[in-house]
Amino acid sequence: MKAQIRIGVDTGGTFTDFTIISKGKISTKKIPSTPDNPSQAIIQGISEFLETNQPPLQIIHGTTVATNALLERKGGKIALITTKGFEDLLLIGRQVRRHLYRLKGQSPSPLLSRQQCFGISERIASNGAIESKISLPELERLIKQINQKKFQAVAVSLINSYANPHHEKIIHKELKKAKLLASISSDILPEHREFERTALTAVNAYLMPVISRYLKNLEAELGKAKLYIMQSNEGYISPATAKAEPIRTALSGPAGGVVAAFHIAKAAGYKNIISFDMGGTSSDVSLLDNRIRRTNEIKIGEYPIRLPIIDIHTVGAGGGSLAHYDRGGSLRVGPQSAGADPGPACYGHSHIPTVTDANVVLGRLSPDFFLGGNMTIFPERSWQALETISAKIGKTVLETAEGIIAIANANMEKAIRVISIERGIDPRSFALFSFGGAGGLHAAEMAAHLNIGRVIIPSHAGVLSALGLLLADSIKDYSRSLLKVSDKVKPDTIDKLFQALIQKGLREMQQEGFQDKDIRFMRYLDLRYLGQSYEITIPMRKQSSIISDFHKAHQKLYSYHHTQQPVEIVNIRVKAIGLGRKIKLRILPESHRSPDAAFFKWQDVYIHKRKHLSPIYIRARLQPGNIIKGPALIADTESTTFLPPAHKIQVDGYLNLIMERSV
Amino acid sequence: MIDFDPIELELFKNIFISISEEMGAVLERTSLSPNIKERRDFSCALFNRKGETFAQGSHIPVHLGAMPLSVQASLQAVDFEDGDLVILNDPYRGGTHLPDITCISPVFIKGRLQFFVANRAHHSDIGGMTPGSMPLASEIFQEGVIIPPLKIIRRNQMNQDFLDLLLANVRTPEERRGDIQAQIAANNKGKIRILEAVDKLGLQNILRHTRLIQNYTERFLRDTIKHIPDGCYEFSDFMDDDGLNPEPVKIHVRIIIKEDEASIDFSSSDAQVEGGVNANFAVTCSACLYVFRSLVEEDIPFNTGLMRPLTIKAPPGSVVNAVYPAATAGGNVETSQRIVDVLLGALAPALPQDIPAASSGTMNNVTLGGFDPVRKINFAYYETIGGGMGAGQNAPGLDGVHTHMTNSLNTPLEAMENYLPVKIQRYGLRRGSGGKGLFKGGEGIIREYEFLVPTQVSIMSERRRHAPYGILGGKSGKIGRNLLISQSKQKVLGSKVNFKAKPGDRLRIETPGGGGYGPPEK
Repeated sequence: MKAQIRIGVDTGGTFTDFTIISKGKISTKKIPSTPDNPSQAIIQGISEFLETNQPPLQIIHGTTVATNALLERKGGKIALITTKGFEDLLLIGRQVRRHLYRLKGQSPSPLLSRQQCFGISERIASNGAIESKISLPELERLIKQINQKKFQAVAVSLINSYANPHHEKIIHKELKKAKLLASISSDILPEHREFERTALTAVNAYLMPVISRYLKNLEAELGKAKLYIMQSNEGYISPATAKAEPIRTALSGPAGGVVAAFHIAKAAGYKNIISFDMGGTSSDVSLLDNRIRRTNEIKIGEYPIRLPIIDIHTVGAGGGSLAHYDRGGSLRVGPQSAGADPGPACYGHSHIPTVTDANVVLGRLSPDFFLGGNMTIFPERSWQALETISAKIGKTVLETAEGIIAIANANMEKAIRVISIERGIDPRSFALFSFGGAGGLHAAEMAAHLNIGRVIIPSHAGVLSALGLLLADSIKDYSRSLLKVSDKVKPDTIDKLFQALIQKGLREMQQEGFQDKDIRFMRYLDLRYLGQSYEITIPMRKQSSIISDFHKAHQKLYSYHHTQQPVEIVNIRVKAIGLGRKIKLRILPESHRSPDAAFFKWQDVYIHKRKHLSPIYIRARLQPGNIIKGPALIADTESTTFLPPAHKIQVDGYLNLIMERSV
Repeated sequence: MIDFDPIELELFKNIFISISEEMGAVLERTSLSPNIKERRDFSCALFNRKGETFAQGSHIPVHLGAMPLSVQASLQAVDFEDGDLVILNDPYRGGTHLPDITCISPVFIKGRLQFFVANRAHHSDIGGMTPGSMPLASEIFQEGVIIPPLKIIRRNQMNQDFLDLLLANVRTPEERRGDIQAQIAANNKGKIRILEAVDKLGLQNILRHTRLIQNYTERFLRDTIKHIPDGCYEFSDFMDDDGLNPEPVKIHVRIIIKEDEASIDFSSSDAQVEGGVNANFAVTCSACLYVFRSLVEEDIPFNTGLMRPLTIKAPPGSVVNAVYPAATAGGNVETSQRIVDVLLGALAPALPQDIPAASSGTMNNVTLGGFDPVRKINFAYYETIGGGMGAGQNAPGLDGVHTHMTNSLNTPLEAMENYLPVKIQRYGLRRGSGGKGLFKGGEGIIREYEFLVPTQVSIMSERRRHAPYGILGGKSGKIGRNLLISQSKQKVLGSKVNFKAKPGDRLRIETPGGGGYGPPEK
């Protein structure tokens, strides 16, 4: 095989991270992001590889362009075509208000106004029968009108189209003829529930012009380099697919991190982990039990995104979370955050204490290593900021600092409970896989609270998402609704439906450039008891055992099952996997050097109101096999790990820090 | 000087709320009926041994004040033992209206009763005159099965005889069984979590913090009331009718604000009525708590502490404190909304920057029932329709939403059409229904049903004659309309009706808009 350079590029709000593999060696890079034109930072970071005589270049890109366009309402001007009588579907939503106890209404600006929603005469019944045929002259007039108003893309979602896409196909054909970008609900989400399907279709259309423009420019600048785009479902796709279904790239940001966590932990021998990515404003947690778990119940802003997306739970607690004393007399932490600007009090621009300031006061962060030593901080400002609160609550500054950390930890523990205990899984048998700028400072105490015995802190913890991009496969998901009771469906009907989706997947994976031998398919059924309205996605091992698998899963999740109750097959799902050329994680031999070689200096660390003189080690100098006993700090370029007393860390062959309680 | 630890308080608050939320997660995910699952018409709460709440998942405001009364009624009715679960729906013994079924479990620590966990869910049928159990009745006996507080589980043993009796009297027994099972599972989850917390943190420590958290909530409300100018504020408004008689029903309130306390007096409201719009005390209490809770800006835990600064006077035998055996199906869903309207109307002059005009003021309850010949089963279906929200200062009212005492989701029409012999022909905003004003009231909704088989329909709605008021010169929202279109003839129906629809008939519900705020610009 030809030599190749592969680069993972993850665009974040503050930094654009790179992981580069050239001649089997991994290197990493961090460059400030250029939010107005994200491709600028990308080109800057990889310009040295864009020379003509370089070996072929493959780039896998995680982007926040879609998410930001949606949150900031900077998408395209779009039209929505729906069944006449239902033009307000998106405006009504699920007819609920966001805040139960706010007497005055607050609504975010909608993606599109009523003037952009068009009804067409047609009707399909819930069983797929055409009750009233689509009016072609009306359609012609409508498309003319849409053309005149210069809409950039058109979303089409008709009532009951999941049961019969015929009318949507007719509209699609006419839109193509008129050279309009189209997003069709029966293509993108052929599942029942009109609001959810319509919202997804409209959001997709809304993103199409933005993503098309962005990717076209990026491709032009990259020249011959081959570009792939990361999706939120843990796999990447070609730019052509991303342009047609840009919604699949929304929320791809944290996906790379989870993929990396999965592969790194697995290589190191840990199949069951809880990934914990603590950043400046929020923390992302995800549970991996020998697989990356997915959900389709995610929302971005007001809009449900019913696509399979890595099951990540986000909580508004991070290093920048603000602490304040409320008028009822409780100490609160977050969800408001100091962000990058003004940042924590120790940056010198603010007087409000944050979680980071609490860590500074407790000596758990070394001023010499803040962001690799590239940033000067002012520990005395942290102390002053905390004094404003400690005076009010009648505690010392150190007690207040420990309190702030305990409360932030409790918020994050709650997020972990949601993804584990609330889903019927006991976290005690898992390892906590901690990364992100602030993860290493909190992991030990959180693990102790959750009775988790082991914490893994990977190397490259600061650019883990970019690394994950190089560990991912190409993945596409397909589904369709069936809504039939299981014993009324013949096994070969299910087979046929699966085959149809598999054929579609095969075609599209071939178009993505995969050979048949590198394409895999996974089959799933979404099942529920007849009458329920939430489904459980069950992997299809054998058709004969699928129902009993469902009863078991229901028992595990909800602690009961009904063997007598009929089971309904709601959706059929296929996940197509194109096996990518993944990097291999290399294992290093054990070293006989003592960790003393990594010793930097001593620092006072406060734990449970007591001062502990603790060594600081430099992470980059630690060797496989090194063992460090707490209390200690391990300083890395982008993050610090706090090792409490009665804990020890062992460095493994992949340079992960494995933290356990010592007996 | 504070006598507690603000850090510990925050940590305990976190634990208590997460327990009630986890109960909610179990209930939502395991129940069978769309009403509980998709529309989230339920609440979960934790109580001390006296039946005072210290944590409650805030799902449906109308359940809020009512839950403690359920536990207190059960305490009077039964001797709790470990492993019991008490069920009830009797509005005169701890319930609100019959479709709301409450399940209460005691939590014993070392043989002593220390806590209760409870949840309440709206069931889509509980028997009675019409499917969906929201009939136009004149006595409670017609509205469905009455369950006084009784042990459906006694020392971990299910009372199968009672369950069989209950299920024999409802139209959709399998769904009821599933939903009750989900309610039991939710309580079990709450019990386990409390036991874990006691194990880890100690009983005394937890008991102390259940009190501290109530005080915490109380402080917020007192501080908020302190900012309302002292004085006496009055307002009255009307319900269209009671469903059986055409006269309007007056609700009047007089609020006296003095320092950090409020006394709320409904003495000048009408006497209880023949039709089913009577509210019991629990409902009236919930409406008052909702309004005062909403005046607090911050996100605070909901518990008994909110009750302490309030005195509520509602004479027994009045429409806001009905006595046995008055019919109550609509008190919970309709009268509660009007009680909110009069409370807000009274407070508006005191807080013009905070209080909005009236919202649509009705939940537009629609129940459908009959026999489905295709699926060969009986069906009973219940839903509510949103309307326009009232406008406030710098805040136009939201369009097409549920307001005040409810916030339940709509049922996807693609789900409805799949399971019921009914089609939705139109679902959209009702243009021009929001009251004009400097800030405009929100638009109501139009929802049109077409019946495919003979269907028994009940509608319980309001604001078909008395419009949602505007304030400070804003215009009122448009009144709602219920239309039956049969063989292309339109007929305007009353606000509360029962009728049998023929196949092909269409029912169009047009819900009221919200009131406007401030004089409209010329």
